[in-house]
Amino acid sequence: MSERATTVDLLQGTLATLILKALSWGPLHGYGIARWIEQVTEDDLLVEEGSLYPALHRLQARGLVTSQWTLSDTNRRVRCYSLTEEGRQQLRAEMTRWEKFSVAVSRALQARRPSKVV
Amino acid sequence: MSPGRRLRDIFRNTAKDADDEIAYHLEMRERDLRERGLSPLEAYVAARRRFGNLDTIRHQLRAIDDHAARRERRTGMWTDLRQDILYAIRGLAKAPGFAAVAIVTLALGIGANTAIFSVVNAALLRPLPFAEPDRLVFMWNRTPSGEPNPMGPGRMLDFRRQMTSFAGSAALAHITYTLTGHGDAESVPAASVSSGFFDVLGVKAIAGDTFHDGRADPSSVVLGYGLWQRRFGGDRSIVGGTITLNGRPRLVVAVLPRDFPWPFVNARAGAAGGPQLFVPGGIGDIPRSAAREDEDVSGNRTAGYIRLLARLKPGVTPAQADAEARALGARLSREHPEDGGRTAMIVTAREQFFGSVARPLFVLAGAVGFVLAIACANVASLLLGRGAARQRDLALRRALGATRLRIVRQLLTEAAVLSSIGAVSGAAVAWWGTSALLRLAPADMAAAGAAFDLRVLGFTAVAAIVSAAAFGILPAVQFSRGDLSAALAEGSTRGSASRRSGRIRDLLVVAEIAVALVLLVGAALLVRSFAALSRVDTGIDTRNLLTFDIKLSGPRAEYQVRQVEFYAALQHRLEAIPGVVSAGSAVTLPIGGDDFGTGYYVEGRAKPRPGSEPHAGYQIVMPGWFKAMGIPLESGRDVRDADAHGAALVVLVNQTLAREQWPGEDPVGRRVSFDDEGTWMTVVGVVGDIRHLGPAVPPRPEIYQPASQRSFPFMAFVVRTAGDPYAAVPTIRRAVAELDPALPLANVKTMDDHIATALARPRFLSTLVTAFGALALALAVIGIYGVMSWSVSERRREFAIRMALGVRAPALLASVLRKALLLAAAGVVLGLVGARIAAGLLTGFLFGVQATDAAAFIAAALALAAIALAACYIPARRAVRVDPVALLR
Repeated sequence: MSERATTVDLLQGTLATLILKALSWGPLHGYGIARWIEQVTEDDLLVEEGSLYPALHRLQARGLVTSQWTLSDTNRRVRCYSLTEEGRQQLRAEMTRWEKFSVAVSRALQARRPSKVV
Repeated sequence: MSPGRRLRDIFRNTAKDADDEIAYHLEMRERDLRERGLSPLEAYVAARRRFGNLDTIRHQLRAIDDHAARRERRTGMWTDLRQDILYAIRGLAKAPGFAAVAIVTLALGIGANTAIFSVVNAALLRPLPFAEPDRLVFMWNRTPSGEPNPMGPGRMLDFRRQMTSFAGSAALAHITYTLTGHGDAESVPAASVSSGFFDVLGVKAIAGDTFHDGRADPSSVVLGYGLWQRRFGGDRSIVGGTITLNGRPRLVVAVLPRDFPWPFVNARAGAAGGPQLFVPGGIGDIPRSAAREDEDVSGNRTAGYIRLLARLKPGVTPAQADAEARALGARLSREHPEDGGRTAMIVTAREQFFGSVARPLFVLAGAVGFVLAIACANVASLLLGRGAARQRDLALRRALGATRLRIVRQLLTEAAVLSSIGAVSGAAVAWWGTSALLRLAPADMAAAGAAFDLRVLGFTAVAAIVSAAAFGILPAVQFSRGDLSAALAEGSTRGSASRRSGRIRDLLVVAEIAVALVLLVGAALLVRSFAALSRVDTGIDTRNLLTFDIKLSGPRAEYQVRQVEFYAALQHRLEAIPGVVSAGSAVTLPIGGDDFGTGYYVEGRAKPRPGSEPHAGYQIVMPGWFKAMGIPLESGRDVRDADAHGAALVVLVNQTLAREQWPGEDPVGRRVSFDDEGTWMTVVGVVGDIRHLGPAVPPRPEIYQPASQRSFPFMAFVVRTAGDPYAAVPTIRRAVAELDPALPLANVKTMDDHIATALARPRFLSTLVTAFGALALALAVIGIYGVMSWSVSERRREFAIRMALGVRAPALLASVLRKALLLAAAGVVLGLVGARIAAGLLTGFLFGVQATDAAAFIAAALALAAIALAACYIPARRAVRVDPVALLR
């Protein structure tokens, strides 16, 4: 339980960025986004698929994504999300930030034992 | 479609949307799992397990979506509001004539109200600039008729010692000092105060330190800010230096702050220019009297020149203090018969300073309130007239999906935009108008001044909001009805909706005429009252009569004989000036000057109970006073030089006193006394009555004593000239300077100007109410003109047909004017009823005219009806001049 919670917490910010990335190729519905994340992360990240939706709705409230109701092939009401211009900018910013962060963390984790601790 | 609308559609039924979204997700997941070979049941369970807690997710989505929806609604409202405001401004720009009339109307209405409120604020709302001003009170002797009166020193000391309601108290007396050095000799109003005066008020000096309770150098002086600036150029080094007052050096210990507005504290409420210097009291910390500056007066209970100021203990109300004052005053009067049977009373500081301003201000506030009401009715009527043309437009908007609420909101926004612009312009009108108002105002109101602060700003805002609601609601309700088919079908001929708004406009005109009439009747009553006051014969011949005050100081002031020698010498010199017809002097200048009174006894009558002896005005005169004033000598003789100090005591009385005491007899040879110790004075003459207390107050009994037998170191002179009195002033100044170069001439003015000052209040009130009445009339005329123009243009086709059928123009004109007459008559009848009620409230302000004065009512009604009809005549003429053939085609 506690391991799971940690994973979810860690995910909160990352999940939003992943959603923006998923939408960067075009509109998708929630399930589509879930499938994409599942594929690219090989099922590792999205422990609870449900948590995708609060994240999506929050992004919409912040104006980073919009949604529209469309009809599916099976004639079902489907909500499709797409990226707004603001969302696109946010994604770019997040990606830059993430690269810097991951480079820094990797470098730290691969560091040798320091010769002297100040 | 607006962004607001789109977002609202998205969030319509957010709960169901979220459920659908989740259901779709689960379904798709189940399908995928089944395709991977799971049984339907396994797929069902696995899909839900992977999804997580359904309820929690649903809950979260609901919270997020609702919050977003609320925010969207708010943003949408602002967007709508911005749109409405822009729409309203565009609309106004497209109808500049309408906008100008509406805005000017509102600016005048709101501006007049703001101006009056800024004075109300200064006098009645703004806290007095003292520490805890609500605890400051004045204490007075209370005469049997309930009037406040100053008290004698002995009685004051008893009050200060025994009043338990007081946390602290201080006495003060008004005196005048002659300031010499640093420029011309000048007579400066001053106050002698007990040492704790500034502590009781809680006032700190801006330079130096004031005196404190029990610690006051008797030769020190505290300067008021105005005098310090004017006479000493705001020089701080004056503190610690000396100035010369009445020929004696005095040490300047402090300068008071600018906002220390200490007025002249009258027994009757009302503030005017007050002391500019403060000196500590004399022996026993008792304020010095004008006559006996260095005398020990602590045993004196009758010289009523002391005003008592006190700070109430916390929690004690003025009413409680008043009850104690009455009881204590009555007890002291029993113990000391010389106190004259008086009790005592408490008056709050605010009432004392501004009580006299409150009642006229309420009249003015009522008048400007009426003006604003008419202004609102006018703008409402204008909006209704304008709205008729927009009916189609609005109906169309409703047809396209705007809700009625939305339309009402838009129309109210228009009203708010109008009234906001009106309020801003009105604030400018008020800013300008207030200074004009205060220039006209009587001294007490001018002293209160005007205060533009947040409270006034708030008032203006409220006035704007209330106005917008008042003139905006009727049109908004009227035009949001949006009966689409009717409005669109109406086409060029207007239908039921515009007939309905026509009826509303008729009613508005009736109301405007009624309210305007109330104001006009009020103005007529006040003008007639003022005219009556101006016509009153005061008993003084004011033609070419100049007056000024003389205040002696130094050794000359100390002995009565030397005072009188000086007065006689000055009079002699004045009479010798070419062009001077006569000159005279008396201790108080009648009408608005000081007012001395005294009880007296008549020889041979039973001694009255203490406190119930007859009362008379008291005046001290030099020979020639009556002649110079034009007061006739009815019998006996004037005072003369032979009535010297030590000679037989004589007095003159006026006709009223003669009639009261000796009806049908000649009083000459009778004797009266001011005390009950048998100091009898023989009546040697009877003079004509004058209205000593002002034109509005009937003559009272008066006793005149020769200055040679009782005098003070100050005197009011009158000089009658053959030509322009002001032209003689330089010669008169020279004559005075020849006698004493250090003697200032104070309060130089003609008797006419002096009396005009006494009439300042009624003149101010009648001028202002007349101005507001005229404004109301002008607005009402604009209103009725607008309605008649509109109604005539409505009926143009009808007129054309009737003319084509042979009805002649005069008959048509008559039919138009008949309607106008009907409206005017209805307004006048209502207005007369209202005016009757309003006039009752004016009773206290009227002199020589009844509140029911027929002339005022009839004149106002006729004037209003005539002007209203004239306003209708122009549109009516236009209507019947129309060419029927052209119109019908």
